[in-house]
Order: sequence, then C-alpha cells, then structure tokens
Amino acid sequence: MSGLAASLARIWAIAGNTVRESVRSKLLYALLFFAVVLILSGAVLAQLSYVEGERILQDVGMGAVRLFGVAIAILVGINLIHREVDRRTVYTILSKPLSRGDFLVGKFLGLVMTIWLQMAIMGSAFVAVSVASAAPLTPAHAAFFALTAVELALVVGVATLFSAFTTPVLAAFFTTGVWVVGHLTRQLRDLGARSESAFVDWAAWLAHRVLPDLEAFNLASEAAHGLPVVSSDWVLPALYGAGYLTLVLFAAVAIFERRDLR
Amino acid sequence: MSRPDIVVVENLTKYVRPGFGLRRKRVLHDISFRVREGEIFGFVGPNGAGKTTTLKILMGLAHASSGRATVLGHDVSESAFRRHVGFLPENPYFYDYLTGRETLDFYARLCGVPQPRRRERVAELLERVGLAQAADTRLRTYSKGMQQRVGVAQALVHDPDVVFLDEPMSGLDPIGRKDIRDLVLRLREQGKTVFMNTHILHDVEQVCDRVAIIVKGSIRYEGVVQDFLDAGELSSDLVLASLPAETGADLEERFGARLRSLGESIEARVSEKHVDGALACVVASGARVISVTPHRASLEEIFMSAVEETR
Repeated sequence: MSGLAASLARIWAIAGNTVRESVRSKLLYALLFFAVVLILSGAVLAQLSYVEGERILQDVGMGAVRLFGVAIAILVGINLIHREVDRRTVYTILSKPLSRGDFLVGKFLGLVMTIWLQMAIMGSAFVAVSVASAAPLTPAHAAFFALTAVELALVVGVATLFSAFTTPVLAAFFTTGVWVVGHLTRQLRDLGARSESAFVDWAAWLAHRVLPDLEAFNLASEAAHGLPVVSSDWVLPALYGAGYLTLVLFAAVAIFERRDLR
Repeated sequence: MSRPDIVVVENLTKYVRPGFGLRRKRVLHDISFRVREGEIFGFVGPNGAGKTTTLKILMGLAHASSGRATVLGHDVSESAFRRHVGFLPENPYFYDYLTGRETLDFYARLCGVPQPRRRERVAELLERVGLAQAADTRLRTYSKGMQQRVGVAQALVHDPDVVFLDEPMSGLDPIGRKDIRDLVLRLREQGKTVFMNTHILHDVEQVCDRVAIIVKGSIRYEGVVQDFLDAGELSSDLVLASLPAETGADLEERFGARLRSLGESIEARVSEKHVDGALACVVASGARVISVTPHRASLEEIFMSAVEETR
C-alpha cells in the first residue's frame, strides 16, 4: 500500500471509530430525540396560527436543525481531542504508525460524519412534516440543508482547533463565541464602516475577514419564503467554507503536533 | 560481533513548565543510554525520576528540549518506523464502548495489518493473553488486570521488533505478573528487543539483561544486571542467640554491623572483611551462633544507595 493510501486507511479507521463512539452515545440520541420532537411540534404551532402556518412550520423545523446541529457540534467537538489526551487513549494510538495530523483529521471526519448523519435524520423529519402539512419543498430547502452541513463542519473544525490546546470549558466558550460573532461579522463590518474612528473601521473589517462569515451559509430566509436560489448562492459559500475549514484544520494540526501529551 | 543498537538516547534534556507562568523545571538532565538488539533492557528509577517522560519522548508523545533519540535508526519524531514498535503505557486506557476483539482489530487496522491476517492475529492474541472467553464483551466490564492484558495484546498486534513496556506489572496479581514475565522472556526468545520501565527491582533481576538506573532525571548507572550484582558488596548475615546488649553495641561500633531483631534472636549484617573478628567477639561473649549466611548486595540495595547519594 502506498504512503498516501496507508495514511487514508488509518484516517478512515480513526473516523470510523469516532462514528462508532457517537452511535453508542446516549447523549446524542437524547439531543436528536428533542430535535425531532421540536421539528414535529412545528406542525402543532402552525395549526395555532391563522396566517402563514406553512412558513411557521418550516421556520421552526429549520431553526431546530441549525440549533441542535450546532449544539451537537460544539458539545462533541470540544471534547474531541481533549478527552483522548485526558483519558490517555491517545497514547496507544499515537504509538502506532500514524501522525498526529492523521489522528486529528480522522477524529474530525468521524464527528462530521456523525453530525451529517444526524442532520439527515432531522432533515427526514422536516421533509415528512412538510409533506404531511402540504408545505412546499423547493430547491432552496436543499440548498439550506447543504450549506447548514458546511456550516456545521466548520463549527466542528473550530471546536477541534480549540480542543487541540485548551480545556473543554474554554473550547466551548471560544467556539460558541466564534459561532455567535461569525453570524454578526457582516453587521460589524457595516457598523465599522459608519464609525468615525479609523481604528474601529479597521478592527471591524479585520474581524469580518479573519472570523468565519457564517451568515454566508444561511439560506433559511430564502427557503422559508420560497425565493429562487441560483447555483452561485450555495456553490461559492460552500467553496469558502471548504477553504476556511482547511486553514482551521492546518492550524489545529500545527498546534497539536507541538503539544507534549501529559 | 556486538549487536546493533536499537534505541539510542544521546544527551537528552527535557524541561517542563509545571503551570501557567511558572518557571521551567528540568525533568531530564543530559541522559544517554543505548539498548541493543534482542535484549531486555530495564529502565529503573523511583517515582518521578523521569522514566515515563523518557518513554514518552521515545514514543513521540513528548518533545525533547535538547539532545537526540532514535529507535531502529529513525528519529523519534517520525511515525512510519512505529510499524515495527509496540508500546504498553502505564495503566493503559482504551475505548470502553468497544469489545476486546474490536479494540485489537482497531489497533491492527492502525498498524496496516490486512484482512484476513488481521482476524487471525486478533484471535491468536486474545488466546495468548487469556481473553478469548471475554473477547466479545465490552471493555467497560473488564477488570484492571484484563485491561492490562488488552494493553499487552495491542502492543503486539502487529508483531513488532521492539516493545516498550511502561510498568507492565502494575496492578497485576501474582499470576498476572508471572504471565507478563513469561511473555517478556518469550519475546526475547523470538529475538525481539524489550525496553521495560519499572520500579519493581525483583522483576528486573529476574528478566532483564541490562539496566539503567535513573534518579532525579540523571542516569546513575548503566550496565549488565549480573555485573551489578557481582560487583555488589559481599557481606554475611550472622543469626545470634543470647547476645548480651554490650556485645551488640560492640559489633556495631567496631565492625560496623547492622543489627535487626528476629524475636528470640538477633541478625547482624557484617561486611566480609569483618566476619572473622565479629564471630570471635560473639563467641567470647558467650552468645550462640545459629547461622552464618553469605549475602551479596541485591539490585534493590544498589538502587537504594544510588537514590541515597542524590539526597
């Protein structure tokens, strides 16, 4: 087996084991259960409204998918590396012929696969409740789910980065902060541009450039209002997400490579 | 012809920072040693001496501040050579949601062992470490001894040429300890090189060919175990009955004897050169000599004197 193929096989082994760990975790089942209940409860809420019942149903559903998706991504992502080091399971793994980069990327991929699997279950519940309530399903809904999947992968990447060098509490704090601010960077940039201070303008511009622009992945409004979505609306953000994620993972690997494992 | 060096450690120094902003502390001080092919090498030291830190550096889990370490001729920062290396950490931890069989299969995959060889190898190892009956039970139900056996099995799953064991007898009952000892000896018979971190000197005396003693981050001795024992001070243990108190004091003062009460009798350890004089003194006092047993300093005594020297 060539070096690259062997490396991919090891990454796949780590990823598969991470998925297996998640599949056997009761916490994730509990979160998934509540997410599906919330999506289904959208149908009840829609009945209570005289107007735009279908939109309320889908707003609640898409909101639940994003909220629970991010909660799962942060909850599991912050422990991704820290728990391995803390429990010392990493000792036996890294003594095998795999690099720290292989290990970290494998853990990341495993968690992303887990979250996408859960998104697929939540998405199925969303489609089922939409069909049952005769709410329209458009290509914008497919684009919404695709970009939410990219956004969640990015959140997992950020959580992995913080998990590579700090405690789960701090990693949760930082990752949640990045997620919240990541949805506000466009407003920050616009506010900065209106400021009279050149420094504030520059700082707002820098925050917009350095932090992930998570609003780029938000097509909930287009999907809920049945607005048309062209390919550039989701292809460009997807490419942006992939590029940003690559940089985040490079940084995470570089930090993890330098760490002494205690 | 001398056997090639499998592990080479040269002038290794390691500093750690105990906490945020605190001053760096030196935990390894310029240590050097070599492990030769096919030998069982004991790396011995008290708790906190730097044994595990050294092993972590050799396994690429920690980075040296300065110096050089190679295994099988490769710098320890590389990872590819580890397909020839097995490692059992102290008190190993595994994924407790996996069964014993799944755990070994996972490690075999990481080492690139292909199917169907992997299935055979896993079954063979489960049998060898006595876990065949519990192979399909999740690790969360395993006892500490069983976890240690899983640890040994994962270290050998890819049939490595060099095996590093960190306190392999830790937490094992006498039967488990004997099993590990036998396994280590069997590895040597197969031509494997074994590096063993331990503070149990009895095990070192029984299985190791060569030993290095590390105290407070510095190597105090390195050499062949038997040479240490042969070079140890020869003395005799005199077991005496009805020994008058003043004669006991005399033995301590004039012959440097170390007295120990055995209930009805007294044991006096006297260096070989003073045995005749001490015996004459005892006989003159009217005490009875029950036995005289020659005694060679054990590795434990040599080890203790090395530790004492650094205090």
